[in-house]
Amino acid sequence: MQAILALMRKEFLHVARTREMLMLLLALPLIQLIVLGYAITTEVKHLKLVVLDLDNSSMSRQLVQAFQHTDRFDFKGYLSDEAAVGNYLRQWKAQVAIVIPPQFHQDVRRGKMPAIQLIVDGVDGNAAGIAQGYAAGIIQKVMGDVALDLPWVLKQKRVSQTGQVVLLDRMWYNLNLDNAFFMIPGLVVVLLTIVPMMLTAMSLVREKELGTLEQLMVTPLGKHELLLGKILPFLLLTFLEMGGILAIGQWIFHVPMHGSYTLLALFTFIYLFTTLGLGMFISTITTTQQQAMFASWFVMVFAILMSGFFIPIENMPPVLQQLTYLNPMRYIMSATRDIFQKGSSLVYLSGDFLRLLIFGVIIFTAGIVKFHKRLD
Amino acid sequence: MHGNTPIVETHQLTRKFGNFVAVEGITFSVKPGEIVGFLGANGAGKTTLIRMLCGLLVPTSGTARVAGYDVAHNPEEVKYRIGYMSQKFSLYEDLTVEENIELFAGLYRLKAQQVTRKKEWLFQQYLLRDFARTLTRDLPLGLKQRLALGTALLHEPPVIFLDEPTSGVDPRFRRAFWDNIHALAREGKTIFVTTHFMEEAEYCHRILVMHAGKAIALDSPETLKRRYQKSTMQELFIHLVEQQLQEVS
Amino acid sequence: MLSPFNRTWAITRKEFWHILHDPRSLMIVFMLPVIQLIMFGYALNFEIQNVALAVINYDHSHYSTELIDHFRGSRFFSLFFPDVLPSQINQLFLERKARAVLIVPDDFGENLRQGRSVAVQLLIDSADPNAAQHIRNYVATTVQLFNLNQKGAVQLPFDVRTTIWFNPELKSAYFFVPGLLALILVMISALLTSVAIAREKESGTLEQLLVSPVRRYEIILGKVIPYIALAFLDALLILFIGVVLFHVPFRGDLLVLLFLTLLYILAALSLGIMISTIAPTQQVAMMMAQSSTLLPTLFLSGFIFPLESLPRILQYISYVVPARYYLPVVRGVMLKGNTLGDLIIPAAFLFTLTLLLLIIAFRRFKMGLG
Repeated sequence: MQAILALMRKEFLHVARTREMLMLLLALPLIQLIVLGYAITTEVKHLKLVVLDLDNSSMSRQLVQAFQHTDRFDFKGYLSDEAAVGNYLRQWKAQVAIVIPPQFHQDVRRGKMPAIQLIVDGVDGNAAGIAQGYAAGIIQKVMGDVALDLPWVLKQKRVSQTGQVVLLDRMWYNLNLDNAFFMIPGLVVVLLTIVPMMLTAMSLVREKELGTLEQLMVTPLGKHELLLGKILPFLLLTFLEMGGILAIGQWIFHVPMHGSYTLLALFTFIYLFTTLGLGMFISTITTTQQQAMFASWFVMVFAILMSGFFIPIENMPPVLQQLTYLNPMRYIMSATRDIFQKGSSLVYLSGDFLRLLIFGVIIFTAGIVKFHKRLD
Repeated sequence: MHGNTPIVETHQLTRKFGNFVAVEGITFSVKPGEIVGFLGANGAGKTTLIRMLCGLLVPTSGTARVAGYDVAHNPEEVKYRIGYMSQKFSLYEDLTVEENIELFAGLYRLKAQQVTRKKEWLFQQYLLRDFARTLTRDLPLGLKQRLALGTALLHEPPVIFLDEPTSGVDPRFRRAFWDNIHALAREGKTIFVTTHFMEEAEYCHRILVMHAGKAIALDSPETLKRRYQKSTMQELFIHLVEQQLQEVS
Repeated sequence: MLSPFNRTWAITRKEFWHILHDPRSLMIVFMLPVIQLIMFGYALNFEIQNVALAVINYDHSHYSTELIDHFRGSRFFSLFFPDVLPSQINQLFLERKARAVLIVPDDFGENLRQGRSVAVQLLIDSADPNAAQHIRNYVATTVQLFNLNQKGAVQLPFDVRTTIWFNPELKSAYFFVPGLLALILVMISALLTSVAIAREKESGTLEQLLVSPVRRYEIILGKVIPYIALAFLDALLILFIGVVLFHVPFRGDLLVLLFLTLLYILAALSLGIMISTIAPTQQVAMMMAQSSTLLPTLFLSGFIFPLESLPRILQYISYVVPARYYLPVVRGVMLKGNTLGDLIIPAAFLFTLTLLLLIIAFRRFKMGLG
């Protein structure tokens, strides 16, 4: 016990003495959180729009005005011909183009259902999809307005027809569709993964590199005491960090917590066995801090990719979905999000809990076993 | 006082790394109070030998007993009874002198009163009091060496291993260092030192000369010089190595 | 000793030697991007699929059956019909059995037959707001389709035909290859250089170099050249995989891309050098390099979130993120077939930024190494 405390004291002194380290360790993730919180938004605005209006009627102008009246699109002007449309899109001057065919308003009046063209720059697939959605919505509305005084539409309405189905949608949980509510709990998990794993690995390898590990090994210090002495400081720092993240989540982004903090702490604790275990394991297969860092990064990137943090697991091809079952981060991710947003309890999360427990025990044990108190 | 039963004994101690034989067939017996020097060029196997005796490396074959315990089967018991100072001094650079002492005292499980007592002793004996709050990385090399030696002795081990303890240290400090070693030996401590400084070999009671993992001589410096009729250690060493090379070819 | 060239080359050679003797790091430097690329390429999809849609149908007319049929057979939804009370719907969400619930009222068919409008309710688990919006849109579209298929449905005044240029099928690989290229290059260049110099600082060998006749700029150059080579190789590797494995087109000029890639790498390297002058240890260097490259490149460069959608402050910060200019270059050359002329603005910015970073880095290095 005494030996463990002695080691922990050393570790804390070391961190405290490297001021930059301290700043990076504690402040940086928080700063990153704030930046990310603000950056992550699907509210795409100011998409550059150009129009090729070959009809030039009050109806076509009505359509264009609908796009001018929203800040989702920035209307950049009318073009003169098709070639110009191509150039604008190719030269990054516009992201969306609308082409209104000649005779447009006449064809509409005659019920000929002309087609307008919506051209979207697909280089950024994400933005393209969003732009398309917004444009469709605006066009839909204009269609409705235009239809109101078309004689043939009014005639149609008098003929017997089936009723129309109206869709009433209601969001359950995240009523305002605030992205922060979804991402911030996810970030908590990401930080819970990176910080302990990387720091533990690097700290253990650093001793190897400097030669002080040898000095520690020569003392009667038991293997378990050595590992605990190394891990506990990072465990504490991680909890501190988490506190900071939760505070920021609440105060700056107003992320509500519908579940229990105790349950969250419990899940965190179990999950830390996995990440700390991985850190230990990595320290045994690397010889320099740089390698330890890369190895941690490697593991982290995969874990994050396959955890549902930003790509929903349902969107992945079946093979990869199966693979995600082997990723402990997947379970803590969904559990954490459910605790925050759904107020989920252990009753519903028992599956995740058990799996995390099993992973934690296996990985942590593997880490300890692999760590020898010998040089070979 | 100084007993007659050996405190360190090895028998055909061997260590291989794959196909490379680092240490081969080392057999010797050391009594308490002796200063034994391991002399040899870099790569001769000195450090590997010491690491085995400390319980840091498992021997490939052969046995070694240190302070009554087998290094392969009871390394933890061995570790309680040995002090080790590595080539790099292996102190934590970003801790102060005092903090380093307290760390190692904690690791050796010294009780609070003992810690205070030993700290005082170290400050006094090794003139480190004025540097108690100095960061280890800011210490001159000679003082670092003393600190490293001091921390290895906190738990009063009967056997001490020093790996190249004087490398890079200026002659004044080296002299003082050896005075310390001799004082310890007179108290009954057994000390093993590796060195490649020929003159330092003269300060040992016995020297084990190594070449390519094997022991090519084990006796007191005077005896060896007389036997081979050499006046300096340098000449002796060269002669022994040449002899060995001839025998092998 | 000899000429600056020889001295620089001596350092370059040492650095190469050092790199080659660390196969683990090397392996990760090359393997990681490759594996990441492959996984992102296959894993990522913007389309939702197999969303568990629970249908609670209180109506028993052929209208409701027809509506439900519109959802069947679509790869977007996976239907199931739970036997639950409205009060138990929350449980469906908590147990993650359903992502959305569609409720058809008992007077559905009756109302439609009589020509009246009727509402169906859609409850969406909107914990993931992105997915929720997609789900809403798909359901709305499906309902719309149902409406249009009804007898005497109102014809639309006009139609909209959408074409997506440059990536008509919205293939995720087209989206990821440029982004990953930017990310990997910047991380490797900044990370490796900052660590390499910090490592020398830590082990004291830098001091050794400084007291030798080697000039400071020769030291930096010597250290940096191997990493330029490494980063370049990595770039080629990623491009190769993108084009050969994922069939990302290459419609523009390779030389233009390579030239601008070089500028980008230099910018990242300068960043690495600057970090190394501040960081006292490798650990610190690594963390600084990672945080100044990973996040900005991912989120402030236009890679995932369009630049226009960022709040003001972040938009200003993005002006100093090299990836902001490099991304349109890669996308432009590969997907749009842009020439250097088309890309003159990002190229000019990139050039200026690189120059600025290099000057600052050299200044700092000259002034002392911390």
